[in-house]
Amino acid sequence: MKKMIFSACLALAGFFGLISTVNAEGLTLEGPPKIAMLYISPTNDGGWTQAFDEARQRLEKDLGIKIQYVESVPESASAIRPAVERFIKRGANIIIGTAFGYSDTFKALSEEYPNVAFLNGSGTTNGPNLLSFYGRTYESQYLCGMAAAAASKTGKLGFVAANPFGQVNWTINAYAMGAHEINPDATVTVVYTGAWNDPTKERSATKALIDQGADVIGQHVDTPTPQLVAQENGVYGTGHHRDFREFAPKATVCSSVWVWDRFLKTELEKIIAGNWVPNPNGALLSMQEGGTDIACCGPNISEEEEAKIMAARDKLLKGELQIYAGPLYDQDGNLRAAEGEVIPDPELWQMDWFVDGVITQQ
Amino acid sequence: MSELALRRPLINRRYTLELRQHMAWYWQALILGASLVLGLLVSGAILVAAGVPAGELLNEFVLYTLFDAQSLKSVLFQASPLIMVGLAGCLAFRARFWNLGLEGQMIFGAIGATAITLWDIGSPSLRLPLMILTAMACGLLWAVAPVLLRLKLRVNEIVSTLMLNYIAVNFLLHLMYGPWKDPKDAFPYSPKYESFELLPDLPGGLSLSIPIAIGLAVLVLWFVSISRAGLYLRFVDKSPDVARSVGVPVARTILMAVLFSGALAGLAGLMVAAGQEGRLTHSFYVGYGFSGILIAFLARNNPIAATCAALLIATLFVAGRSLQVFYQIPFAMVQLIQAVLVICVASSDFFIRHRIRRVQGGE
Repeated sequence: MKKMIFSACLALAGFFGLISTVNAEGLTLEGPPKIAMLYISPTNDGGWTQAFDEARQRLEKDLGIKIQYVESVPESASAIRPAVERFIKRGANIIIGTAFGYSDTFKALSEEYPNVAFLNGSGTTNGPNLLSFYGRTYESQYLCGMAAAAASKTGKLGFVAANPFGQVNWTINAYAMGAHEINPDATVTVVYTGAWNDPTKERSATKALIDQGADVIGQHVDTPTPQLVAQENGVYGTGHHRDFREFAPKATVCSSVWVWDRFLKTELEKIIAGNWVPNPNGALLSMQEGGTDIACCGPNISEEEEAKIMAARDKLLKGELQIYAGPLYDQDGNLRAAEGEVIPDPELWQMDWFVDGVITQQ
Repeated sequence: MSELALRRPLINRRYTLELRQHMAWYWQALILGASLVLGLLVSGAILVAAGVPAGELLNEFVLYTLFDAQSLKSVLFQASPLIMVGLAGCLAFRARFWNLGLEGQMIFGAIGATAITLWDIGSPSLRLPLMILTAMACGLLWAVAPVLLRLKLRVNEIVSTLMLNYIAVNFLLHLMYGPWKDPKDAFPYSPKYESFELLPDLPGGLSLSIPIAIGLAVLVLWFVSISRAGLYLRFVDKSPDVARSVGVPVARTILMAVLFSGALAGLAGLMVAAGQEGRLTHSFYVGYGFSGILIAFLARNNPIAATCAALLIATLFVAGRSLQVFYQIPFAMVQLIQAVLVICVASSDFFIRHRIRRVQGGE
């Protein structure tokens, strides 16, 4: 009897095992790939969206496929839906979004259209045909922190940030840790503007930081305003999204840049090849996987320091350097990562603490 | 000599503009329709100049947007909060109160509704009605201060309502990045609403918010045209001083209209949060304040016309999106076309209200 129950259990287990292999069967597109992208801002916004559009143009060349796009789609279901549904109706079977606010709508759409592959930059939702991706900006911003400390005379760095939450805070901490590689006494004073794209607030925040003695201004906001203000005031800065030497060649010493095509090329090839199974936890890309990189180095950085930065970059590109590896303490002395440990991703997203040397209004 | 003879009739020919007292509704509709067609022709010319094949325009764009079931659904999906802010604009403007605080009232409406979901107030079956009432109450409360300031201290409501928007936005951001962020992933939006906290879909796929919006349009129509308050409102609109001297309770009438306006804006916030997004998000309100004012202006504060104008604006949004999808034209072009259409419709007002008459020269 016991044996029978046991074998019944085994059979049941085998049955479920079968089901799960059926489920694990990935997505294979019907018909030739037709790709469409949704941008949150205009293609010439100088930052986030323009980086995606530049990646799109490189992908068109690399993959030999025309990629359609639609710009200025705000983060609301009533704007996203008509655009995506229209694309799908016109034959698109790979949809790429570019905003965190698309997450819920993309999730719902991916369930309604199970034969369409969905990708979403900076999204939070995933599924059998939906993959959200983002870059580990703390890696590239760590390198920019090194460059900032190298360019600084006073060791007082300023940082203009958007909103106080995980993906901004991890940038700030890494910036400070990078700066400490060059100058252990460097401080990073942070001003949150409360907005991703507000040139007026960014200007006043940058000015305030410079008035307080900061001589290099880092940033994690969307416009190049902090760099422009730094240049006007004869100090230096580090950019975000794209190479901001385009806007402030005399000021920008380093920029954290998106290299989406490095990731999207391989991912799109996987989708086109068929049997695509996206990572159920999303893709948080390291520099090695093609999320971010740096454009370095601008003025006022010696060859010796540049070599140091490039050596760290090489390590990151090879996956040999972990920024959030222990032992790591926050300002209040709490252990955040023990020796030999790396902070896991879910905790990174929740990051609400700062390392020594970071000064915030919080 | 001969020159003078040729010129004289021209010199003597004179035209005058007269105010029209009234125009039959079908003439009004005809003028409105003609202006819309003119706007479409101008837009078409712009698009053709931008390289869009002329033959495809009518076929793919106009017909597709208006007669495709999915597009129609998108239009209606977008329209209900627009109808709400349009009605809210109509009501306040009829009381000569320039309520530029529609967005702030919307934000507080949605915050109130979200508070009900977060604190689990009421049983599941009562939850949605409770959210609707709370949203209206919160929108109304956010309109109390500016209307009292205006009535008691003569503080200009244009400034006060506009400034209160900033307070509302920053409070919303504080909640989204602070106490109300989703504990699941620490991202700046509230936790998802439960299924019984969402505005349900009716059979056929339409959201419940559409019948609610139309019902409220009828209610507002009753309020402004049949009820006693509506009669008072017309007095106040024409001349507050005369109204006061003939014994109309001016302050109470303004107060009532503005609070009603705030409540409707609050409901618009709920319609976006519980009807479209399924949670409170950090930028759900963007653009609605301006759209509400535009809709009320186009509709000349008539609730039924506002409903039509809101549908027109929603159609423009959806059609503009298809244009982009079809032809990869920049978004700025879509905004240009929307502006051309709105200007055409708005100028048709001139011909409805005025007539040009030739008068004899003074010989």
